[in-house]
Amino acid sequence: MKCEEYRILIEDYVDRALDQKTASRVTAHTETCAECASFYREMSREQDVYARYQRDVEVTPVLWASIESRIKQERAAQPEGQRIGMISRLREQLAGVFSAPRLSPAFAAALVIVAIGVTVFVMSRLNSRGPQQIATGNSNAAVIQPDTSNRNSDVAVPAPHTPEERKNDTLAAATGITAPNTVKIAPPTVNPRNRQPARLTPTQLVRDAEQKYLTAIAMLSRDVDRRRSQLDPMMLARFDASLSEIDRTIRETRHVVRENPEDPIALQYLLAAYSKKVDVLREMTTD
Amino acid sequence: MIEAISLVGQSSGRAGTLMNSSEELIARARRGEDEAFRLIFDRYGRPIISFIYDMVGRRELAEELTQETFVRAYKNLKALRDDTKLSTWLFGIAKNVARESLRRRHRESDKVGIDDDHVIELSDGKLPPDRQLLDKELNGVIRDALGALDEDKRLVFTLKIFQQRSYEEIAEITGSSIPKLKTDLHRARAEMRRRIRPYLGVGYEV
Repeated sequence: MKCEEYRILIEDYVDRALDQKTASRVTAHTETCAECASFYREMSREQDVYARYQRDVEVTPVLWASIESRIKQERAAQPEGQRIGMISRLREQLAGVFSAPRLSPAFAAALVIVAIGVTVFVMSRLNSRGPQQIATGNSNAAVIQPDTSNRNSDVAVPAPHTPEERKNDTLAAATGITAPNTVKIAPPTVNPRNRQPARLTPTQLVRDAEQKYLTAIAMLSRDVDRRRSQLDPMMLARFDASLSEIDRTIRETRHVVRENPEDPIALQYLLAAYSKKVDVLREMTTD
Repeated sequence: MIEAISLVGQSSGRAGTLMNSSEELIARARRGEDEAFRLIFDRYGRPIISFIYDMVGRRELAEELTQETFVRAYKNLKALRDDTKLSTWLFGIAKNVARESLRRRHRESDKVGIDDDHVIELSDGKLPPDRQLLDKELNGVIRDALGALDEDKRLVFTLKIFQQRSYEEIAEITGSSIPKLKTDLHRARAEMRRRIRPYLGVGYEV
């Protein structure tokens, strides 16, 4: 067999696609042929280089949220008889409302406001457990610093008076989220119809808030994608850089939350990161 | 849902993911269990988006096409004949989605677009060896080299080298014969080698 043929086999050898007998023949040849041995070493180096290849792409929660949203739209478009169960039907109807494309910025804003309300409620419940829990498990969160300077100019928070308001203001400062002054976030006990079921844990409520952020982000992302061609390239690049940085923060913060699922500080940072992403996306969709 | 689920019961959730076989997940997803399809996405989302990214060379487009891949998969779950081949089936859908996108783009340009910040001159022969090269630059070189391969070669190279698929699986995904795949891979490797050789610091001539 010629060296040229052996080199083809060496490629298969590196791919582990050879049977034992052929592999042994290749090994024996490379022990006696300097050029083929050199070729094998180069192949191995190539494999190492390819193994180190890192892509500028990753699976984000927004990606799944987009897929889930589209799946729900697809299911909602199916004939009635093909749908699965009453609960699924209700979900689809809700998804249909939230995914109305022309109204998505408004719905996204509404979702964010709801998420903020849930967040405030959750944090007040978590904080009421006492400072000891807050003191534990927030060492990792300290390395992730949300930018607290990015308050929207069109929102305002009144000076805190009650302890509850002071807590909310602290949350707003930590997360960069401030409630619009036209929106009053009612305490959970005011309206029994709106009261969260007593069995929901703070963590479940955080999940709910996170889901609302993700849905809002998915909607706004679609709007942004539609507008991309109309945006100034330089501005678009800056937006993309900001989004990339926020996504990184979300990843890191989620990691901290996973390590400390009951840590209110970590949860605040996570929701703050989502809020930032919503802010940036909203800015991109605003003329 | 989504990642939020993993905020609680992380360990049990992970264990559940590992214990769910593909066949079981498919069966549950076919019955309309959203969670099962999310687990399928959790399992295959990363390799699929990496594969598509290697094919199209643009992050935003790869995300969009990954979304399309999983939506198509969801809509066609009942068409999956062999539940043990979920991975191969998903790659097949991803290949079709990527190719359709490339066809559309080829009407505008003959070359696969690549993100501008990774464009690096490949042919001056004065670049430093890989040991002195930042991984980021090497990533750019590899991506540029991938983008310069023709579609068939890029497809087989990506599936074999990066996704570690067997020739049999690649034949199922692409519909090509194994001899053709081997020929394409051999040529793809040679082209890639020519482009990354300045970064390997070796003098072997093909």
